[in-house]
Amino acid sequence: MAEKKLTRADLRSAFWRYFFTFQFGWNYERMQSVSYCFAMIPILKKTRPDPEEFKEAFMTNLNFFNTNPVVGAPLIIGAHIALEEAGASLETTEGLKVGLMGPLAGVGDALVWALYNSIVFSIGSVMALEGNIMGPILTFLLVFFPYLAVRYWQFFWAYQQGTNLITQLGSGAIQRITELATLVGMIVVGGFAPSIVRLTTPLKWEREVVVRGEEVMQTISVQEQLDKVLPYMLPVGLTLLVYWLLKRRGWTPMRAIVLLIVIGFVGGALGIFG
Amino acid sequence: MLTALILAIWAYLAISDALAPRFLMAGRPLMAGTVAGILVGDVQTGMMVGGTLELMALGVYTYGGATIPDYLVGSILGTYFGKELGFEAGVALAIPAALLLTQVDVFQRFINFVFVHAADRYAEEGNVAAFDRMMIFFSHAIWGLSRAIPVFLAVAFGEDLVKAISGFFEANPWFNKGIRVTGGMLPALGFAMLLKILPVEQYPIFLLIGFVMFAYLNMPLVGIALAAIAIAVIYQQLMYRPKEV
Repeated sequence: MAEKKLTRADLRSAFWRYFFTFQFGWNYERMQSVSYCFAMIPILKKTRPDPEEFKEAFMTNLNFFNTNPVVGAPLIIGAHIALEEAGASLETTEGLKVGLMGPLAGVGDALVWALYNSIVFSIGSVMALEGNIMGPILTFLLVFFPYLAVRYWQFFWAYQQGTNLITQLGSGAIQRITELATLVGMIVVGGFAPSIVRLTTPLKWEREVVVRGEEVMQTISVQEQLDKVLPYMLPVGLTLLVYWLLKRRGWTPMRAIVLLIVIGFVGGALGIFG
Repeated sequence: MLTALILAIWAYLAISDALAPRFLMAGRPLMAGTVAGILVGDVQTGMMVGGTLELMALGVYTYGGATIPDYLVGSILGTYFGKELGFEAGVALAIPAALLLTQVDVFQRFINFVFVHAADRYAEEGNVAAFDRMMIFFSHAIWGLSRAIPVFLAVAFGEDLVKAISGFFEANPWFNKGIRVTGGMLPALGFAMLLKILPVEQYPIFLLIGFVMFAYLNMPLVGIALAAIAIAVIYQQLMYRPKEV
């Protein structure tokens, strides 16, 4: 067991530095690097008392870094601190950072942004649109406490796991949680997309039919016919179209927005959609 | 002018919260709009504008630093102008504002490199005090001002422009209609982005369960979310049940 060079206060200092500034100074060149380094400063001061060694670690920790700031970053920082305390070399700690930031960015973005936030914010928004102030308040509560807890827990858990972390991550627990969240996400998207995407058509056509020997004009609403075939056909079709453009055709989101605006304006002006 | 200043400060704080502490994810339109509504004394408009934009931006996040419309500033401006003009006009203003400001975001993400270069210099000197000072007092400034300045300018000097725009809306009902139709369609992008990062090919059938719950059983969203958790847990319990001998 390596000797403890760090106190609880050092760890807390690193955590709050991370908590309050992570992503400040975010830029295209090295993304989250400055705030990552800022969080590590109190640790590096303790683990590298030699000024030259400290400077080298300071410079190295300004290397490119980017991962999910909520699920991912605290885990990496916690594990990095454990390695620092155990006297690992800069090559080892940089390896840990580079090795974990990519995979955790994928897991974190899916869990936090795509799944959790989408559920919480869509429920809050639907309530807000009914004029219910509980919507934003509920969303606030479901952000404030879980976000704080998940970051705090990850940071100290990863620190305690230390070098065991990599084996822990490989044990399948993380994959299980990710799969669970993914399944919830799939079901939720399946239900939320048709409820939130709105696209209907006012198109009608008229035809003459003979009812009891009299000619009557009958109006057929295209929307009603579509609903008989499959409810919410247009919103679902539109969502799948955009998905296909993003996934298979490599479209950027901005390009898709432009397409939606063009369809919306042209379709609205011509009376195809409304 | 005071309102312009207050909303500009809110924009600064909101983007800072969205970067780091995330007390309320203030970068999201629902939060930015609701608080802007409280600040201008019209919570209802704030919630309506914020909620509408939130649903448009659902699932739209800056994955890996990708560029997305600036719905934060859009919802603050939409709330402010929506208070006078009605929330629909607020939303109609917010969307073009959010799109225009995308370019500002790209530019500010670029010029933030000054902090990295300053940090490199401090590291070479071993000057921790200067580095800490920069991080605490300045590292959020470019991000913050890139939101605060457009809000301030639009609220302080935008009255005439907005009058002209609302006159244009009244004279051209097709434009309003276009915004309304587009607004209903935009959430499709968010869901498409979600689907893109989900393993759709692997579990397509789960999408169908959610669709049936909404389209045929008319379940509310909270019910769908709760049922989704139950179904996913049951699926895993069955899948990973220890093999019986």
